[in-house]
Amino acid sequence: MIIHHPLLGPRDAAEFVYLGDAALIDRPDWQAENAAEAFHAYGYLRDNPAGVHQELWYHEQGDRSWLVVTRNTVNHEISRVELARDVARARGRGR
Amino acid sequence: MSQVNRIKGGLIDRSTEISFSFNGKAMQGHPGDTLASALLANGQRLVGRSFKYHRPRGIFTAGSEEPNALVELRKGAAQEPNTRATVAELFDGLEARSQNHRGSLEFDLMAVTDLLSPFLSAGFYYKTFMWPRAFWEKLYEPAIRASAGLGQLSMEEDPDCYDKGYLHCDLLVIGAGPAGLMAARTAARAGVRVILADEDFVMGGRLNAETLEVDGMPGADWAATVVAELAAMENVRLMPRSTVYGAYDHGIYGMLERCTDHLAFSGGKPRQVLWRVYSRHAVLAAGATERPIAFGNNDRPGVMLAGAVRAYANRWGVAPGRRVAVFTNNDDGWRSAADLVAKGVEVPAVIDTRDAPAVCDVHGARHIRGAAVMDTKGRKGLRQISLIDGQMIDVDCLAVSGGWNPNVHLTCHQRGRPEWRDDLAAFVPGRDLPPGMVVAGAANGAMTLAAALRDGVAVTERLGYTDTGDLPRAEDEPRDGAPIWHVSQSRARAWLDLQNDVTVKDVKQAHQEGFRSVEHLKRYTTLGMATDQGKTANIPALAVMAECTGKTIPETGTTIFRPPYTPVPIGALAGRARGRDFRPYRLTPSHRWAEANGATFVEVGNWLRAQWFAREGEQGWRDSVDREVLMTRRSVGICDVTTLGKIDIQGRDAGEFLNRVYCNGFATLAVGRVRYGLMLREDGIAYDDGTTARMGEHHYVMTTTTANAVTVFRRLEFARQCLWPDLDVHLISTTDGWAQFAVAGPNARNLLRKVVDKAHDLSNEAFPFMGCGEVTVCGGMPARLFRISFSGELAYEVAVPARFGNAMMGVLMEAGREFDAVPYGTEALGVMRIEKGHAAGNELNGQTTAHNLGMGRMVSRKKDCIGNVLSHRPELLREDAVKLVGFRPVNRDTGLIAGSHFIGQGDAVMMDNDQGWMSSVAYSPSLGHSIGLGFLKRGDARLGEILRAVSPVHGREMEVEVVPAHFIDPEGERLRG
Amino acid sequence: MAEYTLQAEPPLAGTKMEIAGVRLWAPADLALVSLALPLGREDAADRAIKSAYGVDLPEIGRSVLAEDDTRLIRLAPDLAFALFTHATPDAGRVVAQRLNDALYTTDQTDVWVALALSGPDARRALERICPIDLHPQVFGLGHAARTVMEHLGVLILRTGEDDYLLLSASSSAKSFLHAVEVSLHNIA
Repeated sequence: MIIHHPLLGPRDAAEFVYLGDAALIDRPDWQAENAAEAFHAYGYLRDNPAGVHQELWYHEQGDRSWLVVTRNTVNHEISRVELARDVARARGRGR
Repeated sequence: MSQVNRIKGGLIDRSTEISFSFNGKAMQGHPGDTLASALLANGQRLVGRSFKYHRPRGIFTAGSEEPNALVELRKGAAQEPNTRATVAELFDGLEARSQNHRGSLEFDLMAVTDLLSPFLSAGFYYKTFMWPRAFWEKLYEPAIRASAGLGQLSMEEDPDCYDKGYLHCDLLVIGAGPAGLMAARTAARAGVRVILADEDFVMGGRLNAETLEVDGMPGADWAATVVAELAAMENVRLMPRSTVYGAYDHGIYGMLERCTDHLAFSGGKPRQVLWRVYSRHAVLAAGATERPIAFGNNDRPGVMLAGAVRAYANRWGVAPGRRVAVFTNNDDGWRSAADLVAKGVEVPAVIDTRDAPAVCDVHGARHIRGAAVMDTKGRKGLRQISLIDGQMIDVDCLAVSGGWNPNVHLTCHQRGRPEWRDDLAAFVPGRDLPPGMVVAGAANGAMTLAAALRDGVAVTERLGYTDTGDLPRAEDEPRDGAPIWHVSQSRARAWLDLQNDVTVKDVKQAHQEGFRSVEHLKRYTTLGMATDQGKTANIPALAVMAECTGKTIPETGTTIFRPPYTPVPIGALAGRARGRDFRPYRLTPSHRWAEANGATFVEVGNWLRAQWFAREGEQGWRDSVDREVLMTRRSVGICDVTTLGKIDIQGRDAGEFLNRVYCNGFATLAVGRVRYGLMLREDGIAYDDGTTARMGEHHYVMTTTTANAVTVFRRLEFARQCLWPDLDVHLISTTDGWAQFAVAGPNARNLLRKVVDKAHDLSNEAFPFMGCGEVTVCGGMPARLFRISFSGELAYEVAVPARFGNAMMGVLMEAGREFDAVPYGTEALGVMRIEKGHAAGNELNGQTTAHNLGMGRMVSRKKDCIGNVLSHRPELLREDAVKLVGFRPVNRDTGLIAGSHFIGQGDAVMMDNDQGWMSSVAYSPSLGHSIGLGFLKRGDARLGEILRAVSPVHGREMEVEVVPAHFIDPEGERLRG
Repeated sequence: MAEYTLQAEPPLAGTKMEIAGVRLWAPADLALVSLALPLGREDAADRAIKSAYGVDLPEIGRSVLAEDDTRLIRLAPDLAFALFTHATPDAGRVVAQRLNDALYTTDQTDVWVALALSGPDARRALERICPIDLHPQVFGLGHAARTVMEHLGVLILRTGEDDYLLLSASSSAKSFLHAVEVSLHNIA
């Protein structure tokens, strides 16, 4: 597969390490009342769709950036690649 | 009487004669020959025995689809089995041998299996070898293995080398026939980067095998002109002898280039190169494969595909027979007859299944209309054919044409399904092609020359690459046909799959036994499962199946094509990754010193680390390791610990960041101090540990375990970019940059005082336990000093820039001479950490928590950190959780066994009574007996208790006493001294 | 004079050969320092670079030669490398002082080893191990990329028409040299 890195252009997927569902960005608040349940869901409950999926890839043999890759798990079509840092900020993560 | 069948013409160099041998017999050929064309030229019709029935077989095709003519090439270690003679280029000195016979090729002792054929029909494996069950392993499987398989491996190491590579292009053209050449030329003239690949060693495809003309010249000459034009263009890469074998995601293609297979000696160069081709677009112009018609005894040497027969005549100047009849159901078969007659070969008859007028005039041939071949005669080669009306004709070669199948294989590699076209009676590429791929020419159902040329241009222009040049002139040759798949009147066995010996009867039987799906048919009969993957067999077999079920062929379906298109040697897939080059190796900075000083090395990940340093007179590794431990604890020892991961962490928020990635607090760590840190996974399981030193206000240096250096860095980047993107933190690995040495033992400070420049005060007050700082050594060399201890002794780690590491090891040893300093390896390191009760990889095994490790109180509840919330789950904090404790054998002479489980006195050895496990053991030279670390339920509350340590794997058990994990200096006085 | 002195032993020191018409050597005294741009203070960092080197930080995946022949290589939004000739083991400090501590610097000199290739067939040899497209239209002069060759992380730079500089981890220097050398032998 080829991942079109938003900063570096097309790179072979062999340069990347796959992590999984991009929902891992949404780490729960440790002080929330339901923190235990929220972390349980965060750690163990993932969607595994046959179709479009947002997932985290790490450009380990490259610029060390984490990417959010929107990929169709059925035909491997990649429709969008973003820097995970931008996605994290857009989802409200900061300090 | 060499080359008895050589006739005029052909693309061979008659000015040079080259010698080769077949089964030891000397033969001659010319440059430009394949082994198959040369064998035919020399009158060798019988070239092998069939897989199952050991039937005599000859050359059937003229290309990579060949099912029969599999031979062994070369000898000794270079011996290569199962090579298709039809694609093996002839070279001087080539040695070829036939396969799959006991005794000689002419008198194969295994031919008796042919008489047993009634018992070896479809599914015979499943039926015959079922009972009794015990016979399978002892009798059936060895017997089958002995008789199965075709060629022989040399059982020696492959003497050749292989390589891999990466190519990039705008357009990959697969196949250099008329359509491929036009596609490549169109795109090349448009100025884009083109790769033109063809499995043959001469580009031109069928143009080289036909007498058709393009632009008024012979097709082969026209092809050569186009190839020459392309070769002169900088944006074109011509890749003959290169098979594109697979279509992968996102325009990536796999291609095997055969670099030296056509040479007697590779000259040390890679024999084959496996290319990964990155393309924006690809034109599949793979042409078409002729299919046979099945009739009785249609497998005799001399029965060949009609297109192959005229290819041998036209391209190679070889007559596959003296009297050649043609059996066809379509117009194309007639061209074989016409071309042979033009070359002076006798053609007694053209047998056409259609009751239709002659397609062309074939001098001297009888046209037999509405007829079919029913059976053949000739023990080791065709002698006579008989027709359904009883006529018999003496021939030594029969050219059979059942029509042509577009080579759609690569269109299916991403689950694409071909579509049936009634007018062609063939499958053509479907609409769901791999993204970026278009198909042109015969592969796309454009079956005539003119159509193929047009199609090659048209599909390329559709991709946006245009050329204003004229289309070459050519004619649409007649291509009508009426499919007939097998001659139903035949009583004798009629072969569908020649390589796997599957007959029409086998398919019918499979149907009778209830196999309806094509995929089941394939697996039950083994149809299409040989090295040729049924290129000539699948469609006729499918047609027979359709006939049985009363369905159409498209309703019956087609099997899925998967890579590779033709076989790819394992050597090519391995590439350079053999032996020592299997993966890279990493050396520590003091590697050369260690080599020169008797080190035995151990692989730790990719690292080679000194395991121990043997001295003269030592009887085994234990002697060396015991000495290294004792000398270190008595005076001072030195160990290269460079392999531990080192991560430079800088930023205004670096401290806060560390506070969140370690479970224990880092917010209060002062500049010049080091702290032990434990990292958890988000699920609360301990992940990695190490020390982090605060070198400056915004500057920390983290160490990780050797094993987790890469993944810890990855996780830290995840935390930095995905969890807390607005913290000012920057990470960079410096693992390889610093040569780091542990200097441990009571004399560690005394030794370092001789090396560290005098300006730096190393007194216990100025540089206490868990202190760190930048210093200089050896007169100004920048260095880092950390007062940390893994051994439990007074110890430091000193780091210098890696290029000085080898010298530093020498200097430390030289300075330590007066203290009897000893270098120690990973074994002594391991012994000392067990003596000190430090957890390592065996304890941080992905199942244990901080609570289990006795570090539960380190997990702060007052801050957020990775793993904090889930590590406080009640189940993980159970009162009876396992705890890390020490063990010693009640009988001190006994050696403990790692992996033993703890069972109470008098309890049965079963999981219900399992109380924990022994994770690490060592012989402690300091104590004089075996010691162990392990996890025991409520272990910390059970000191002094006697248990059984049971190892069912070893069939042993022993009594052990629970003791504190710190065997040495439990109060830590030494390391603080 | 200190009692002991340390001799440098760079892993590939002295490597120099010509295969397939391509010269391959390990440049001596190459220093490498990483420059991290502090979050929220990128402008100050940019100004410090400009004032120290007289050039702007290049785009990601590009490098520029400063007036003093330091090559500034931009690898990521917040990361660049400074590559320059410097024999003594204090490159990190030198760069930090020059930049007035406006960026976080880490001496990377000993983390990496360098191999230079020069010759018309250099690109053809690199095809055997380098997955990225080195065609001049794609990988122009001064372009830089981190990728993987024979399982090794490699930073590749195009320094001239037929000239490349490759950097990889120093601990696996021998495997790295072997990979490049074999590539040249295989096309010779």
